Amino acid sequence: MKGLEAIAFHNGWAISAVGISIVFTGLTLLALIISQLHKVLKLWDERGIYYERLKNMGQKEETTAMPDFPLPQNMEESARQFKLLTERMEDPFSLPELLKLSEKCGLSHPHSTMNALLRSKRIVPDGKGYFHWNE
Amino acid sequence: MENVTELLLKFISNTGFAMADYRYVIMILIGMIFIYLGIAKQYEPLLLIPIGFGILMGNVPVFKGLGLSIYENNSVLHYLYFGVTAGIYPPLIFLGIGAMTDFSTMLARPLLMLLGAAAQMGIFLTFLGALALGFAPNEAASIGIIGGADGPTAIFLTAKLAPNLIGPIAIAAYSYMALVPVIQPPIMKLLTSREERLIRMEEPREVSKKEKIIFPIIGFLLCCYLAPAALPLLGMLFFGNLLKECVVAERLAVSARTAIIDSVTILLGMTVGASTQGDVFLTPQSVSIFVLGALAFGVATASGVIFAKIMNLFLKEKINPLLGAAGVSAVPDSARVVQHVGQHEDPTNFLLMHAMGPNVSGVIGSAIGAGILWSFMAVPK
Repeated sequence: MKGLEAIAFHNGWAISAVGISIVFTGLTLLALIISQLHKVLKLWDERGIYYERLKNMGQKEETTAMPDFPLPQNMEESARQFKLLTERMEDPFSLPELLKLSEKCGLSHPHSTMNALLRSKRIVPDGKGYFHWNE
Repeated sequence: MENVTELLLKFISNTGFAMADYRYVIMILIGMIFIYLGIAKQYEPLLLIPIGFGILMGNVPVFKGLGLSIYENNSVLHYLYFGVTAGIYPPLIFLGIGAMTDFSTMLARPLLMLLGAAAQMGIFLTFLGALALGFAPNEAASIGIIGGADGPTAIFLTAKLAPNLIGPIAIAAYSYMALVPVIQPPIMKLLTSREERLIRMEEPREVSKKEKIIFPIIGFLLCCYLAPAALPLLGMLFFGNLLKECVVAERLAVSARTAIIDSVTILLGMTVGASTQGDVFLTPQSVSIFVLGALAFGVATASGVIFAKIMNLFLKEKINPLLGAAGVSAVPDSARVVQHVGQHEDPTNFLLMHAMGPNVSGVIGSAIGAGILWSFMAVPK
């Protein structure tokens, strides 16, 4: 048996197609892995830097919930009054309770004052839902 | 006086002169041509000289039964030939090849590995051609592997699938490897335009030591999990490379790429040559194998070049399509041919280091191809 008949009889077409596909697949996969290898090694070599960066990012989020913002001059007196109110409360204090107390005591613009105190970081969170003065 | 005459006549009848016929003479001439090509023309001398002399050794007619012929079980040559038939020598040669190969150009530009894959089309198209000529599938696979242009791989697979064809296949494979500078350039020039041959390649990036150490481990695991039958060849290739790159085992790497590979090359070449006895080798089958071998190299070269041109349709940074010819894993000859053909157009265009990438990936590809064919053809015992 010779010619195309022999090739078909011995399953030559399938063997050749599968064979060359496997060779291509193998070398393509190897090429893909090699092309990424130097990037993975670079990541591994610089893992200390990335760990430090992650650590610093976490600490920043704990201490600064909002960007820095100076307390306006006309709110210094309001801030002093709020401070006096918190001396009657537990430390750390609850922000809704402070707001309620400030309204009860008739302080002017309690919401905007509290907002300014938070933004200027005069009052800072303790991470457990309560707040304290940033001495 | 009669006894003396009788003894003399008996002696003369036992000499090679009395037992030789025209086939031995032809093979001796072929052996001398190989030696001439190796010494005078310096075509692959480390291969052609042992093979050529082995042909001379194998074509001295001997009296059967005295344990002299390579095919007689108790002969010295037969014991040395065991390394070929059992597939021992080729993996040891691959150990040495791994210990002397620098994979950094391939690691710097992994895309060029695909050219090595494309050139292995020569294996499978030659396999189809051998089937069409009436060879049995296992013989066709052994003939097809000539297209991988890798002598040890061809001998390894033939020893497993068609040991009766080791002689002609090995001679064909090594002959055409030596003739790569003659076979490839016309095909490369036919398939490429002048503009394409003038394409300059970008400088490759620097490859770190860690990459060169990790690569043989990853390469070995990936390739051998994909084609486990390639384990003896690729295992030794990557092991040798790891010995070289890790530096701490430099003594072992030096032994692998000097003493071990040289010793095995001597034994392999000499015994393969000696196996080509005139009465066994000079058959119509051998002529077919030689014709198919030439086709295999031509198809492999063409496949690599054409694939490079196809890749250029999708790439922004074009690659020089001549590099496709380097996918034929005759290391480093086909890479040198690429350099030579490229420099013929532009003497300042240095393609050799870029060509080494597809060249060494062709070695890996041909070993995978051999493993695949072996796994398709082998009948488990």
